[in-house]
Amino acid sequence: MASTFVAAFEILSFGAIIVLVVLGLGIIASMMGIFNFAQGEFVLLGAYVTYLAYSHGIPIWAGMVAAPFIVGGLGFVLEALIIRRFYAAPIVAMLGTYALGLIVRESVRGLIGGFYLTVPEPIGGSIDIGTMHISAWRFTIIVITLLVMAGCYLLLSRTSFGLRVRATLENPALARASGISTPLIYGTTFAFGAALAGLAGALIVPVFSLFADLGIRFLIQGFVAVMVGGVGSFIGPVAGAGVIGTLSAALPWVMAPVVADVLVFVLAIVFIKFRPQGLIAGKGV
Amino acid sequence: MGAAKQALRATASQAPGVSMADNGLDRALPAQQAAAGRKVLPIVEGAVLITALILPLVLQDYLTVFATRVIILALFALSFDLVWGYAGIMSFGQALFFGSAGYGVALMARDLKITSIFLVLPAGTLIGLATSLLLGGFLLLGRHPSSVIFVALGTLTGSYAADRLARGWYYLGGQNGIPSIPSMSLGSYDITEGPVYYYFALGILVVVYLLCRFLVRSQFGLALAGLRENEQRIAFFGYKAQHLKAIVFAAGGTIAGLAGSLYAFHEGFVWPNMVGVVISTQVVLYVLFGGSGTLIGAVIGAVIIEGVSFWLSDNYRDIWPILLGVLLLLVILFRPLGLISFVLGERERVGSFGVTRKEKRNAAP
Repeated sequence: MASTFVAAFEILSFGAIIVLVVLGLGIIASMMGIFNFAQGEFVLLGAYVTYLAYSHGIPIWAGMVAAPFIVGGLGFVLEALIIRRFYAAPIVAMLGTYALGLIVRESVRGLIGGFYLTVPEPIGGSIDIGTMHISAWRFTIIVITLLVMAGCYLLLSRTSFGLRVRATLENPALARASGISTPLIYGTTFAFGAALAGLAGALIVPVFSLFADLGIRFLIQGFVAVMVGGVGSFIGPVAGAGVIGTLSAALPWVMAPVVADVLVFVLAIVFIKFRPQGLIAGKGV
Repeated sequence: MGAAKQALRATASQAPGVSMADNGLDRALPAQQAAAGRKVLPIVEGAVLITALILPLVLQDYLTVFATRVIILALFALSFDLVWGYAGIMSFGQALFFGSAGYGVALMARDLKITSIFLVLPAGTLIGLATSLLLGGFLLLGRHPSSVIFVALGTLTGSYAADRLARGWYYLGGQNGIPSIPSMSLGSYDITEGPVYYYFALGILVVVYLLCRFLVRSQFGLALAGLRENEQRIAFFGYKAQHLKAIVFAAGGTIAGLAGSLYAFHEGFVWPNMVGVVISTQVVLYVLFGGSGTLIGAVIGAVIIEGVSFWLSDNYRDIWPILLGVLLLLVILFRPLGLISFVLGERERVGSFGVTRKEKRNAAP
């Protein structure tokens, strides 16, 4: 019983991490039609900012709060300078964002070297439920993920900003004619997606430690999750992330990890092939 | 996501590539010169070939070994160029075919002690063909045409999954790969790295290059160009667009398999990166740099990137990847047709199709 519970908690917490990483990716892919190869590097940057704060004696939580704003700001600048030119051509966008990601990743690698740098958990220890112990920080990640998900959903479905974002997504020309500044909306959306990645990086760095290839690890999983969930809505990628995250965490418990690793991708690609619109089709929130 | 307005702007911003074409036309403006066949492409190709032929005579031995590696990588780049530059299929997982052929021949050499050149090279090529047929058939064929994004991400995921498999599978050597593969043998003669291997690889590259050149200049190549420019229209003309794509994808995979088996025997070891995302993206860089849609562009791109990275790796190992990223970004933004577009005009890049010299002569008077 206890081990089942621990397994369930592990699966849940890994699922939450994937959801957190995919949120930004999904928002950018759905709202802007860009598969952002630099998203993994935004995650890396968030982690790096947190590490910088820690190594300079600033409280870790302060670094975690600052990370999304710094990465989001960078995302806004990059969108204005570079990403904006790629909207028409999805493949060129992939290559361009890949180049961006390469620059960021190698810069960070140059700064930290080939090391694995650890950052302690701001909330250490474990939560005891009867005889079972679960990591307090992982629990916090789950809670924050739920909060962020709810926040994003409300932002997109209940606020006038969300309405303008969705209008721009559905019909840019009409949105522009209605007086919505679509370039600004695109810029803000991209910055928001980048900020979410930064937050994800900041939160997961105590779990995975900081290394230059941290982002790549999640990037392909993130893409697969977005495709499985379905591009074009907010809920789709989140659902996809939940499925992929849960599968990748759950399968190694029942089979050899190598097989499980590959099987998740194979299953996902087969699923997408036969259901290109994803789990949840359609536009909207 | 119909960002239509942006679409227009982006098209306009890609104009540098087009304006370059004007330059090319300007140079060939006098009609006589054009008729006299003053073309840049054969000159570039000839120059590259002659340079490649005399290179081992002037290089030191260790540099010849490096040059051989570049030749093999150029062959690999050719395979990606065929798929992306000519058919417009973004294969982000080209290393899957390269690496699985490499692993295949490495296993043959290790477990079956087969190193005969007449067995390993065809085997590697067949492995490339088989994996690309499988993956390409699955991703490209079917009732509904697959989206470009799906194919790009599908190949990427395939390559990544293969990488993970190779890392985790003890039989394939795990993280370390398969070390110390014996040399390829021709009868009792071992083809070891050095000038012999260099000229051998160069010979294969030239043959494959000529085959590709014939392919893309044939009527089939014309259909491919149509496919790349406007897939829907080609489908309305009655071509089976998905089949065409699958054929080119398999052809690319075959070449990649040949390159992979040459590479495995040349380096003497295979390791998981060879099937993975690292090499897959590397080949994309070669082709984008050199110029996709021209065969020689792929070769030049591989030579330049590998050459510069070899040259810089002593002193500037850390900043080279950053520099590479910046250069790539600049190329994508300002010179989408690659470095070759500095000398090659748009008309010549597109070229003519399926017209033999004889027909031209008949049509001229």
